[in-house]
Amino acid sequence: MRRFGVALLLTATAVWAAPYTPSDDSAVLERLPTRRGDPVMAELRQLRAALAASPKDAATAAQLAQRYFDLAMAEGDPRYVGYAEAALRPWPGDDAPAEILFTRGLLRQYRHDFASGMKDFERALQREPGHVDARTWRAAIFMVQADYAAAARECAALQGYASELTTTGCLAYVEATTGKTRAAYDRLSAALMRHPNASAGARLWTETRLAEMAWRLGDAPLAERHFSAALKLGVTDNFLLAAYADFLLEQKRPKEVVTLLQDWVRSDTLLLRLAIAERALKLPDARAHTQALGERFAAAALRGERLHMGEEARYLLDLKGEPRAALAVALDNWKEQREPRDALVVLDAAAAAKDAKAAAPVLRWLEESRFESERMRRVAASLR
Amino acid sequence: MRALLAALLFAVAPAHAHKPSDSYLTLFADGHTLRGQWDIALRDLEYAIGLDADGNGAITWGELKAKQAEVDAYALARLALRVDGSECRLEPAEHLVDDHSDGAYAVLRFAARCPSESYHAVEVEYRLFFDLDPTHRGLLRVDRGGDTTTGILSPERPKLDISAQARSKLQQFAEYVREGVWHIWIGFDHILFLVSLLLPSVFVLINREWVPAHRFRDTFWDVFRVATSFTVAHSITLSLAALSVISLPSRLVESTIALSVVLAALNNIWPLVHARRWAVAFGFGLIHGFGFASVLADLGLPRDALLLALVGFNLGVEAGQLAIIAVFLPLAYAARRSAFYRRLVLAGGSALIAAIAMVWLAERALDVKLY
Repeated sequence: MRRFGVALLLTATAVWAAPYTPSDDSAVLERLPTRRGDPVMAELRQLRAALAASPKDAATAAQLAQRYFDLAMAEGDPRYVGYAEAALRPWPGDDAPAEILFTRGLLRQYRHDFASGMKDFERALQREPGHVDARTWRAAIFMVQADYAAAARECAALQGYASELTTTGCLAYVEATTGKTRAAYDRLSAALMRHPNASAGARLWTETRLAEMAWRLGDAPLAERHFSAALKLGVTDNFLLAAYADFLLEQKRPKEVVTLLQDWVRSDTLLLRLAIAERALKLPDARAHTQALGERFAAAALRGERLHMGEEARYLLDLKGEPRAALAVALDNWKEQREPRDALVVLDAAAAAKDAKAAAPVLRWLEESRFESERMRRVAASLR
Repeated sequence: MRALLAALLFAVAPAHAHKPSDSYLTLFADGHTLRGQWDIALRDLEYAIGLDADGNGAITWGELKAKQAEVDAYALARLALRVDGSECRLEPAEHLVDDHSDGAYAVLRFAARCPSESYHAVEVEYRLFFDLDPTHRGLLRVDRGGDTTTGILSPERPKLDISAQARSKLQQFAEYVREGVWHIWIGFDHILFLVSLLLPSVFVLINREWVPAHRFRDTFWDVFRVATSFTVAHSITLSLAALSVISLPSRLVESTIALSVVLAALNNIWPLVHARRWAVAFGFGLIHGFGFASVLADLGLPRDALLLALVGFNLGVEAGQLAIIAVFLPLAYAARRSAFYRRLVLAGGSALIAAIAMVWLAERALDVKLY
């Protein structure tokens, strides 16, 4: 039924709404995410011009693609990933410079083509064994795949090439997911103290991770301190906002989520959290925002893509009240992505749908990883 | 560290926080004329040809209008339509704007001038934005006199061949009938309402007591009256809602449907109404019709085949309903004198139905999840 609904959505008005003629020339139709004077845009324009002059220049192409990729991450806008792919078009094969291979791996993992992405990173490392970025991305993908031993090996291989904070961060991240949260927290916060001059980006990452660890350890005030330290850095970051919003929602502070996210409706991940908070507060916007999310998932389905199943499962569970549908999507997602939040949505959906059997793979993961989270243990106990 | 930060934060971040770039291309191909509507995101046009003339980060209708000719030339040069192998000339006809879930789109309506008077197949070749953004997709919909088919155009597959031959009306009709049958079978609230009203059909009410009916004929006409009233009532509101004459908030509709099940079931335990159950079926049937209408709306109604869809869906619902009655009635009639039927099925079954429906009622009315 659902599938039929999606297929026929093309004929429904949600996607093909009624076109109109604006009455006034000064009517603003669209606000662009950045203005022309923006320094990031200026840099991108320069790089684009340089690449247009010599499209086979690998260094420029890789640099432009990485700038676009960073922008996609910060703003949560996949269009930039498309622009990045265009820059790499002259190098379709595996016979390419390390930087091109690495960048292509980035874009491939973004599309959840983890197998090809991993191969690209591996080839980049063969050409350039000290390629720290390729190494950390391999660690990150092993983490997503819940292969913690392999992730730890990649982190260890960073030694001698990467900074101490990077290596420690990498290892602490693995530890914190495998039952040694307290030790990981202590190690990472000590490392941060030793590097007071670390870049804003490095601090952002470290503070966010420390916040998550403190949260899992049940120390909400400590988590709060790390989150606000990260927010004070003033770096636009979709991931930090999502993590902090999740924290606030669990702390039953939906009002602050609305304040935090009200200007972020463009981002699906953040719109999801905003709608959940608005629903909790019974605000009138909840309905429109829920509907907008539904339309975006339907629009993605029209492309034949399902890259945000974790969010879709949350949407079905928390906003639509359809636990069975949510569970199915959450389990599909789990086949690809095995991060703690992917596990949690399976458990929550299984509990709501009263289907403990379906949650078996995640319960097994929880046992084997020894992941420490009060909340997850509670849901898991209710399922056993 | 930039890498670690990016890597360990974002491999894990949800892939698509926004929608990627899509355009929506609709072709109207009836075998004789060919025209189209193309919705292209302003964001994409800004990147490709630049619309924001004053560079203030906002695109106005005036700025779009000033670039209209350029937009037409850019887009139409990247779309080729061929009917039975020969190229059509694309001429812009009308310029509008539309809001999709991810922002504003320029809407370009165009006519295709084709060499032949009539044709059997259309070939679409699409290249818009593929050079700038290989993740761009053209979402194609072809309307063949009311029957639609869809496709996705990508750099890997930029060409699609579409037969201008519509599926027959009969095939489309059959599809809606199937959906109707399917919906009554998965719509537990409708089934439970009907069953609650049917359970006492094999009895007559004497001094507020259920007494088994003597003649199958009486039972049959009783069921006939109840089922027909329910059908007539929900057909009326289903049609009115599908034609957008009336619309009610879904929470009200869903809550009232749950209430109708509660009342119908309780009536079997403490009988108030018997002979006039058809009136109850009619009254609440009106509300159930709105419930069906929301499903039909989700399926998407073809604008030029509205009647066909409506009648098909309705007939499907009736057929599903009749199938339930056909199974229920002989069994109930045969068992009507047994204590099993009266105690367990009529009293126990009704109590169970009432309990389930009360949970639904609480959930739907208060917008909470209990179960």
